Amino acid sequence: MKKYLCLGCGFHYDEALGLPEHGIAAGTLWTDIPDDWVCPDCGTPKHRFEMVEISY
Amino acid sequence: MILFELKADSRGLDELPSTGPYATYVAGHPDGRITRRSSFNFGAYQGGIAGFGRVRVFGDEIFTPSAGYNMHPHHNFIIMAFVLKGALTHINTLVKVDTLMPGDYYAFSAGSGGKHCELNVEREDLNVLYLWMLPNRLHAPPSYARGRFDFSSDKNRIVPLAGFGGGLELRQDLKVSRLFSDAGRAYPYPTRSRAHGSYVFVIEGEATVDGRTLGRRDSIALAEADSFEIAAAHDGADILIVETIRS
Repeated sequence: MKKYLCLGCGFHYDEALGLPEHGIAAGTLWTDIPDDWVCPDCGTPKHRFEMVEISY
Repeated sequence: MILFELKADSRGLDELPSTGPYATYVAGHPDGRITRRSSFNFGAYQGGIAGFGRVRVFGDEIFTPSAGYNMHPHHNFIIMAFVLKGALTHINTLVKVDTLMPGDYYAFSAGSGGKHCELNVEREDLNVLYLWMLPNRLHAPPSYARGRFDFSSDKNRIVPLAGFGGGLELRQDLKVSRLFSDAGRAYPYPTRSRAHGSYVFVIEGEATVDGRTLGRRDSIALAEADSFEIAAAHDGADILIVETIRS
């Protein structure tokens, strides 16, 4: 399970957690999120997220 | 070793007017605008360098009178702002309303979430340098602190502003320093380790870094050295140094 950080605002997507409040179930892989998805906080496109290995 | 050299004019350029598609993002009078010079890829500018070590954003921004960023959210990133000219009104979810003048800087660690709004409410342009860093852990408690570089007592020495060298605490293996120097002086900068690299940005004046001459707003990135030298060519040379672990 990987984590991705929005380079526009710092919002992060954790595959393990998903974003149930935005209709993305826990366990959803990044590659299974549509290419036209954007950051729910700032609108930055999916391709401007960076995979990060930073723990909580 | 020099990793890259970036001339002032070869940085990214974004013009953000307060009207049109930017209207919800950029505050101000219809003539208000923010001009952003980016050393690294950010926003619409994606044709350059992606970042350096833990740094992702290095923006040199000018806000016309009345312009600013409306209230917007952040997470995780550690954001520093250094006021170069004018006055920055910083409304945020940690200390409410803060005003920063030239020499003042803040470190806002967005952590688990925060919002802020940055405005120029004065009648002259505002020039701010923005530095965004990855944190060493996600969703840490948010924090906000500010500091001040004193152009008299901090003159003619490399002063740590934040990070592992002193000054404000940063949750990252990174150090930010500033040098304000008279002409004809040279300073060794010892690095923390050969795994660290340094991004040196000339705010004002001219300087020679590791033998390369840099003019106003030029910058250079160095790595794999135990130390390097910064020499000031003119009185009032003003230089920001960001040393970061490169991995």
